[in-house]
Amino acid sequence: MVKRKKARRKKIHQQAVWPRVVSLEERDKVLSFWEERFGIPKTAFDGYVLLSTSKNYWLFVEPPDFKPLQGLRVQTVGLLFTRRVSRFLKPTSTALQRFGSLATKNIVELSPAELDRLRRQRKMSYQADLSEGYVIIKCAGKVWGCGLYVSGRLISFLP
Amino acid sequence: MVTLTEAPRYFSRYRRIIPDFSDFLAHLRQDLPLYFRLNNLKCPDPSLVIEGLERQGVKIRPVEHMPLFYRVEPRDFPLGNTEEYYLGYIYPMTLNSALPVLALDPKPGEQILDLCAAPGSKTTQIAQLTGDKAVIVANDRRLDRLTALVANLKRLGVASALTTVYRGEEFPFGIPFDKVLVDAPCSGEGRYRQGYEGELLYQKEGHTNLPAIQKGLLLRAFDLVKVGGVVVYSTCTINPDENELVVDYLLRKRQAKIVAQQYPQKHHEGLTEWEGKILHPDLRYTARFFPHETESVGFFVAKIQRLV
Repeated sequence: MVKRKKARRKKIHQQAVWPRVVSLEERDKVLSFWEERFGIPKTAFDGYVLLSTSKNYWLFVEPPDFKPLQGLRVQTVGLLFTRRVSRFLKPTSTALQRFGSLATKNIVELSPAELDRLRRQRKMSYQADLSEGYVIIKCAGKVWGCGLYVSGRLISFLP
Repeated sequence: MVTLTEAPRYFSRYRRIIPDFSDFLAHLRQDLPLYFRLNNLKCPDPSLVIEGLERQGVKIRPVEHMPLFYRVEPRDFPLGNTEEYYLGYIYPMTLNSALPVLALDPKPGEQILDLCAAPGSKTTQIAQLTGDKAVIVANDRRLDRLTALVANLKRLGVASALTTVYRGEEFPFGIPFDKVLVDAPCSGEGRYRQGYEGELLYQKEGHTNLPAIQKGLLLRAFDLVKVGGVVVYSTCTINPDENELVVDYLLRKRQAKIVAQQYPQKHHEGLTEWEGKILHPDLRYTARFFPHETESVGFFVAKIQRLV
C-alpha cells in the first residue's frame, strides 16, 4: 500500500509575518556599526525603529503604537537596512543610497568609466587608503551603493 | 477602443460640464507634457538631478507653485532609462495626479492609509511631504500591482511605509487613521489621448460596475478614519457617476463634510446636479480638473472630513 504523502499546507501566522521589533541595545549595536564604519551619526536615524527578520534588519518609522499595526497581514515593512552576513553586518545599497550622503569615511569615489567597469565585471583591482571592509560607492556626487574593499580589490554589491 | 473620430460623440455626454468643449477635443490630439517629482528624501541637492539630466540634452524647468515638480522637454525623453530614475532621485508623474496628496496635507507623526496605493506615486509623495516621518499603510488588492509599489518604495528609499494586500472594501478596522486616501480605480476618461495609432488610449472596463466599487471603497475609507480625520477621494475620470455621485452617496450614508481646498492648478467646482438628479449642495467644494486647462490628466478630487 502506497503511503500518501501528507499535503504540505502553508500556514499563515499573524505573528510570524510581522518582523520582530529589536531592543534598544540591538538597535544601538547596528547603528554603532554605521557610525563607526561610515561616520553617519546615530541621530540620523532618530524617529526610526529597527525590525528584524531572519537575516535582515529593516528600518521603519516609529509608530505611536505598534499593537494595532501588528494586526495587519503585511507584505513588507519599511526599508531593507542592514544584513547579517556570517558574524558581520553589511549595509544594503538601498539604505546607503538613502543615507550615504551623510557619510564621512570609507567612501570610494569612482569615475564614470570605473563605475561602468565595476558594474560589468562585479570586481576590479583598486588601491586606496581605506580600511578593509564595506565601502560606499559614489560617482559624480551620487551614491550608488555598497562595495567591499579587500586585498586591493573592490567587489560590487550594487543592485 | 474609442478612435479619435469617435471622441466627439463619446464625450458629447459631458459637453455641458467640460468648458471650451472644442478646445478639449483638440487637446486630445496632443501629447502630454513630461514632468517628474524630485525625491528630496534621497537627493537633497536638486542641481545634481537637473544638471545630470541637462547633460543628456533635455531642458528642465521648475513648475510654478508646485515645489519639487519639474517639466522636461522634449516630451518623449525616456526618463525611465536615466540613472537619476534608477537611483530613485526622480518619479515621473503627471501634475494633476499630485493634487490628491496636496489635499490630504499629510503631516509627520500621522497614521495614513493609502487604500489603492499601487504603483506608489502618491504613497511616495506622502512619504516625501512628511519627511518620511508618518506611518503610511500602502494597500492594494492586487499582488501583481503591489510588486510595482514595493519596487518604487525601495527605489525612492522610503522607510515609513508598510504594504498590505486587502480588498479595499474589507480593509480591517482597528487602526486609528488620521487620514485615508482613496485614489479609486476608475474608467480613466481623464487619461484619454490620441495614441501612436491615432486612437484614444482607452480601455473600457466592460461589465465592471465601477461606481459600486468606488462607493464601497469610499464608505470603508470613511469608517476607517477617526472622528475629525480626513478622507480624500480622487479619480482620473470625467464621469460624474464615478465622482460627485459617489461622494453624494457617502454624504447620504454618513455624517461627513466636504472641505474646501485651494489647488495650484486651474479647476472648477464639482457638480450639484447631473442628468436631472439633484446632488448635495456641498459638492461644489469638490474640484474638477480638465486636461486642456491644466496640460495634464483630467482629475476629480474631494476632501471629506468625518464629523461623527
